[in-house]
Amino acid sequence: MKVIYTDVLIIGGGLAGLRVATGVKERGHEAVVLSLVPPKRSHSAAAQGGMQASLANSAMGEGDNEDVHFEDTIKGSDWGADQRVARMFTHCAPKAIRELAHWGVPWSRVKRGDHQSIINAQKVTISEKDEAHGLITARDFGGTKKWRTCYTSDGTGHSMLYAMDNKAHEDRVEIHERLEAMALIHENGRCYGAVARNLMSGELVAYVSKATTIATGGYGRIYEVSTNAIICQGTGQALALESGVATLGNMEAIQFHPTAIVPVGILTTEGCRGDGGLLLDKDGYRFMPDYEPDKKELASRDVVSRRMTEHMRKGKGVKSRYGDHLWLDITILGREHIEKNLREVKEICENFLGIDPAEEWIPVRPTQHYSMGGIRTKHTGESQTLKGLYSCGEAACWDMHGFNRLGGNSVSETVVSGMLVAEYISDFLDSSDSDITIHTKNVEKFVKTEQAKLDKLLENEGGEDAYVLRRRMEKIMMEKVGIFRNGKDLKEAVDELEELLKRSKNIDVFRSKSRAANPALVNAYRTQKMIRVALTVAMGAYLREESRGAHSREDFPERNDEKWLKRTITSWPDTEQTLPTVTYEDIDISEMELPPGFRGYGKDMTIHNSATKEAQEKVDSIKAKMEAEGKDRFEIQEALMPFKDILPKKYQGKNERLTERLENE
Amino acid sequence: MKQEKLDKTPARLDFTQSITGLILAIFIMGHILFEASILISKEMMYKVTIMFEGYYFFGETYPGIISFLAGFIFVIFIVHAGIALRKFPDNYRQHMAMKRHTLGMKHEDTYLWIIQLSTGFLMFFIGSVHLYMMIAEPSDIGPYASSYRVVHEMLAPLYFLLLISVITHAFIGLYRLALKWGFMEGKNTKVSRARYKLLMRVFIVVYILVGLASLAKYISIGLEHDYSAGVKKYESQTIKMENH
Amino acid sequence: MSKDKAPRILKIDILRFDPHDPEDFPSMERFEIEESHGMTLFIALNDIREHHDNSLKYDFVCRAGICGSCSMLVNGRPTLACRTLTSKLDEHITLAPLPLFELIGDLSVYTGKWMRGLNEKLETWIHDKENELNVDKLEEKMEPELADEIYELDRCVECGCCVAGCGTIQMRPYFKGAVGLNKIARYHLDPRDKRSDEEYYELIGNEDGVFGCMTLLGCEDVCPKDLPLQSKIAYLRRMMLKTAVKN
Ligand SMILES: Cc1cc2nc3c(=O)[nH]c(=O)nc-3n(C[C@H](O)[C@H](O)[C@H](O)COP(=O)(O)OP(=O)(O)OC[C@H]3O[C@@H](n4cnc5c(N)ncnc54)[C@H](O)[C@@H]3O)c2cc1C
Ligand code: HEM
Ligand code: HEM
Ligand code: SF4
Ligand code: F3S
Ligand code: FES
Repeated sequence: MKVIYTDVLIIGGGLAGLRVATGVKERGHEAVVLSLVPPKRSHSAAAQGGMQASLANSAMGEGDNEDVHFEDTIKGSDWGADQRVARMFTHCAPKAIRELAHWGVPWSRVKRGDHQSIINAQKVTISEKDEAHGLITARDFGGTKKWRTCYTSDGTGHSMLYAMDNKAHEDRVEIHERLEAMALIHENGRCYGAVARNLMSGELVAYVSKATTIATGGYGRIYEVSTNAIICQGTGQALALESGVATLGNMEAIQFHPTAIVPVGILTTEGCRGDGGLLLDKDGYRFMPDYEPDKKELASRDVVSRRMTEHMRKGKGVKSRYGDHLWLDITILGREHIEKNLREVKEICENFLGIDPAEEWIPVRPTQHYSMGGIRTKHTGESQTLKGLYSCGEAACWDMHGFNRLGGNSVSETVVSGMLVAEYISDFLDSSDSDITIHTKNVEKFVKTEQAKLDKLLENEGGEDAYVLRRRMEKIMMEKVGIFRNGKDLKEAVDELEELLKRSKNIDVFRSKSRAANPALVNAYRTQKMIRVALTVAMGAYLREESRGAHSREDFPERNDEKWLKRTITSWPDTEQTLPTVTYEDIDISEMELPPGFRGYGKDMTIHNSATKEAQEKVDSIKAKMEAEGKDRFEIQEALMPFKDILPKKYQGKNERLTERLENE
Repeated sequence: MKQEKLDKTPARLDFTQSITGLILAIFIMGHILFEASILISKEMMYKVTIMFEGYYFFGETYPGIISFLAGFIFVIFIVHAGIALRKFPDNYRQHMAMKRHTLGMKHEDTYLWIIQLSTGFLMFFIGSVHLYMMIAEPSDIGPYASSYRVVHEMLAPLYFLLLISVITHAFIGLYRLALKWGFMEGKNTKVSRARYKLLMRVFIVVYILVGLASLAKYISIGLEHDYSAGVKKYESQTIKMENH
Repeated sequence: MSKDKAPRILKIDILRFDPHDPEDFPSMERFEIEESHGMTLFIALNDIREHHDNSLKYDFVCRAGICGSCSMLVNGRPTLACRTLTSKLDEHITLAPLPLFELIGDLSVYTGKWMRGLNEKLETWIHDKENELNVDKLEEKMEPELADEIYELDRCVECGCCVAGCGTIQMRPYFKGAVGLNKIARYHLDPRDKRSDEEYYELIGNEDGVFGCMTLLGCEDVCPKDLPLQSKIAYLRRMMLKTAVKN
């Protein structure tokens, strides 16, 4: 048995994983990163649009700060988020982006003087200040009050990930590519690493570590059509789930992005609309202002996606052999703008649709895009139930997105959570708590169990075809756990998935029997894992009888703070179970800095919680009193919901802005 | 900062290769034109010849000047070829790798390089022979002498090969030279490259046509002229030289 | 494809070989599949794996032409398979793995490892030891045009097409290739990287570096990201020559 010892095992080489690795390395701990693919190929590279950070450099970002970003995030989450986590996040986002600038991301910059821009289909002139010239600029994204989304042309994630990976090279982080974590090694509620499979040689390796971090990204591929990379299969969530100890949070919170191209589901960035692109129906009519007169195309993602679906249901969609779709029109932005700032979009249109977006409209439709849910953790990134297991990035639910995340908040989350979690892990490693006590024999047991599972798949005969099961699962998720959900469909989905789960125990890897690189084998065991993850999604959605953020129930259209202001927690304590165990975790209104309110879209249908009013009054009175006393925004915030004390010391400082200069040193 | 001595050899070699190539190419562009003076008239060719022999400076001809010039070119030629040798496949494995690559890729500019490589290889032999002759018998240049050589010393086929080789090699070389060092590239490098390529093609065709015409003329003179009295000097109608 | 025309039957020849199997040897295998509307090689290969041969190995990650995983030789030319529409190809298609890189099996090659080695050799990160970062302070300014220019070169996806498309590197595997040279050009341009011209010369001022390039331009012509490789290599060549002269 091959065993590799390290301080921190990081599963996942995307932005989140790499940021944890460099962070713990800086604190003097050894780290090994496992990744299915070379880290630079991770899905983080696909983020085109940008990263939110309240730098307030550009004219349209003036007046922005942590408070505004916080408010946008909480509203966006439909009050599902953990407000302290959101505070930590908005406070650290400017730091993270400045760090990345230092490491080489060539962020697009503010250029002094007048610029033409398109807002709400009108040409407007924006005038940038002299002193902002050369600082990081920002664009408009859905659901934000200010222009806050920083970007590098339309390759933001790419340039971030490359800078991050290069930084990891510089720090000599050990990276083991083409290794797939198969199971966590744990004992007595303490995680000791993972068993991993080398995807080239097939060898199983035990990684024993003091702390283990899952940063494996989202689980979009349980859906038939998704904007996600094909490796976003939720194997990280499955790892946690199959430990039987760790838990998952809000798995039903799935985001659909309004503008993925039809039929392949490749994303065209929100930047298209942010920069002034419009949504049109089959008559070439701009319909969004009818539904959302205020924010129009730039309403929050979940809202736009639902409006589009509604509009198509009214028969206004364009018919095609792949079903209905709508149009995204960016021709009004002009060729020059498209070729410079939306080039990736142009390439996608040319290569996958064979059209020129500067001349023609792009066929789009809402498509699965992001997983708000994930491994449930505390604000430190540590699992609430399995000590020594950490998680961050899209894989986790520490929970800053609640039931809907804002565009641009995700890559931002990966680096912020990465840098914070690295500190918490390092603190843990510096304490005696982190000592390892597991016996080698027990490590071996985990390896053997995994080996036995693989053997069974290879030796089984006359069993199920993994592809058939997987395609069925994808279809069910697509048709029954989609944008609009209802009790009947969801019930069916849960039942059918349960059936698939049972059948999946009898998968047979036929024909291709190699123990080394073997795509059929990989598909087989991943299908088993994916069905489990799909079940947690369907189950959570079925039980949640309300509509919140991206989770939208036709039979329960109102947001119900009275009954449902809580997180769904799923786990799988017994491997023989055919359904996940579901429990709930209350979200405490009295601790909120921003008590639940109306998000500002459509009609307010919220069923308010009885505690809301009281909380709001308390917040208002503290605010009024302190403002009268001439206190500044930091002091007021501190009084409402302190969070600085839980931040690592090195990230507690205030952020400098052009209008908020720091005293010298 | 490290303060070790930089190894400048690679930079020098690369630059020398280019500059020698450039000199040779410019030389050839002139060479073929001067030589084409035969197309105008024998007289013209004669004038050009004695011009190179220094007649217009000294009032007399010194064929040694041509020897010297040829020697100079020969040195550059050797240096150029010597350095270029680095780029040839060193062994069978490299040869096969390049062959497989070229056949698989079907990529124009890679073909161009292969052409340069093979023409260079060819010139290594025929070019040397020609240059040697020019160094050894510089006075045998002239409308009749040259024609005699072309026809009766059976140099026509050799010149034909040399012509094709040197012209393609030189203009492909110039094209690559421009791209290699980014010479006069515009904002859109794709456009400037396309322009250079077009120029390269035009020059190759024009030069080969001119060269072939001259060669044909030499051959026709060589066949028509009566060499029964030996290869006598061309007698100019306008310029009378005493010491010949 | 118009509606009334019967779909084409694609004949896809794939070079197959499993280096882990001692009894296997490289051979061509033909698969025939029906073309569908908007079909890419990603869809075609998945079709083959799902319905014809589940052992077929290849790499796709983003399937959107972004990540650089899926480069292979399509009819002899290196390109990203995921964004290659079959309708733009003849009905007879030949697929082979990229040469030079470590073969994992069939069409799957280990470009990532090669690229990592390259990055480590060329130290492709910002070298700035003097400047201690204070994350609270305003970021350093940069001219907007310069930022754009750097991004232009930063767009490389390390797909390895330029390596497979370069004859020089086929002959001399130690050559850093266009991908390596482009990276140096990128850092050379970046004012945040404090390396001197001499230090860059140490890295690429040799036959394995910029002076080894024979201007074959395969790199420029196959790069799926249309990076200005020719002009950047020329730029470095001038820079490096200048550096040599200066010293
Ligand atoms: C098309 C698209 C565009 C987007 N645009 C934006 C945007 O503009 N702004 C924004 O903020 N967000 C955007 N997002 C979301 C954002 O890109 C992701 O949420 C974020 O990059 C996730 O980063 P990560 O580090 O958590 O995971 P990833 O980058 O997905 O990395 C996951 C890593 O885990 C590894 N891994 C997975 N499973 C295993 C296993 N079992 N064993 C070992 N390793 C494993 C993978 O190899 C990979 O290295 C976009 C997403 C998509 C799909
Ligand atoms: C023995 C004869 C010759 C040989 C073997 C030879 C070989 C070569 C080779 C192999 C190259 C390519 C170098 C590279 O890829 O970097 C080259 C380049 C070149 N050659 Fe020659 N050559 C010869 C004669 C000539 C002659 C007679 C001329 C001019 C007419 C010439 C002009 C050039 C030019 C302009 C280049 C481009 C320079 C460069 O790439 O730096 N060569 N030669
Ligand atoms: C200084 C040196 C040189 C001199 C003086 C010289 C002179 C001549 C002369 C006089 C001729 C006419 C034929 C003859 O008299 O034999 C000729 C033809 C030719 N030379 Fe040279 N030459 C020189 C160098 C070269 C070089 C370096 C090359 C190329 C490698 C070259 C290529 C040719 C070719 C191709 C022809 C035939 C031309 C045609 O077809 O019209 N010469 N040269
Ligand atoms: S330079 Fe172009 S071809 Fe080469 S690795 Fe980068 S993206 Fe691929
Ligand atoms: S193909 Fe190769 S030789 Fe140079 S120009 Fe490109 S690196
Ligand atoms: S799969 Fe990512 S580029 Fe082709």
